[in-house]
Amino acid sequence: MIQLKTLINCIDNSGAAVVECVNVLRSKRPAKVGDRIVVVVQKQRNFGPESGSGGSVSVGAAHKVRRGDIRHAVVVRTAKKYQRPDGSVVKFDDNACVLINKAGEPIGSRLNGIVASELRDKKWSKILSLAPMHL
Amino acid sequence: MRPLARLKPLLRLSRACKQHQRFLSTTTEPANAWTSTLAALTKPRKPAKEIPTFKPPPSARQICADPIAALTASQLTQLDPTGARTRLFSRKNPEVARVGDVLLVRLKNGDPFAGVCLNIRRRGIDTGILLRGQLTRVGVEMWYKVYSPNVEGIEVVQRREKRARRARLYYMRMPKHDMGSVENIVRQYQRKRAALGTGGSKSKDSAKKNNTKRGRK
Repeated sequence: MIQLKTLINCIDNSGAAVVECVNVLRSKRPAKVGDRIVVVVQKQRNFGPESGSGGSVSVGAAHKVRRGDIRHAVVVRTAKKYQRPDGSVVKFDDNACVLINKAGEPIGSRLNGIVASELRDKKWSKILSLAPMHL
Repeated sequence: MRPLARLKPLLRLSRACKQHQRFLSTTTEPANAWTSTLAALTKPRKPAKEIPTFKPPPSARQICADPIAALTASQLTQLDPTGARTRLFSRKNPEVARVGDVLLVRLKNGDPFAGVCLNIRRRGIDTGILLRGQLTRVGVEMWYKVYSPNVEGIEVVQRREKRARRARLYYMRMPKHDMGSVENIVRQYQRKRAALGTGGSKSKDSAKKNNTKRGRK
């Protein structure tokens, strides 16, 4: 249940840590897993001291987005439980998303964290293949 | 001055007359006369028409007293022919899986899921279990239907050392009580089972494994 003002964890290496939902696209309802949303980057991820000191190239590569940027994102985990067609129900402890560009390509190159396998049904196979694990 | 003064004696007179008449009527047996007039007025009655009545339709209760129970039983024979799952979650079994136990659900399609059982929802064929685990350091909760054809087997990995005094352990979602990842416990259990082999493992588990295999065939 992700809607206006919801703060979501960003689990890719695009440089965003916490983003805020400002719009749910193509739906009048709160966003679920696989839905595309518009977000504002609220908090940047700091990639440790070695990446900060080790040349501006890596920092520039890491921080693809800045605080205040408006981006599109895909919801990959929801704390709201949802039922699968086989009767099992899934619920995660947090809400998480992955930033994408307008064309639908993920901005980051790596994900850290489990994602829901509903992404396959919603044609987000690229995100699913980046993820270390899916359930 | 008094307009009703004249009326009063008149009324008294009429009342006296009435009394007088009544005395007269008693002597002339007016009851008979009344009945005769009534009899003349009323027509002779027709014989009463018989109202058609229909028998009630055959009761479904006679055919099947408790259809829901019958349906549940038939479904159970289909989905759990060996009765292993029923036994694992029946309260009569002393070795029943309880809340707080770490359970492993093996699925036909997909990875097995292990987690601590927070809730058992006993509803006949709809019986489900709520497991909570951690994957990539994110808490995940899964409800599984015990009798789902998608579930290959359910194993008790670790029992809670003390019986939980609550039916639903939702407090284990709180960081203070969270069990964290059960991956190590499950791996240890699987290693132990592999070392013991099929014959030497715990009788219940081996029986269940055989049962599930038979069920798959």
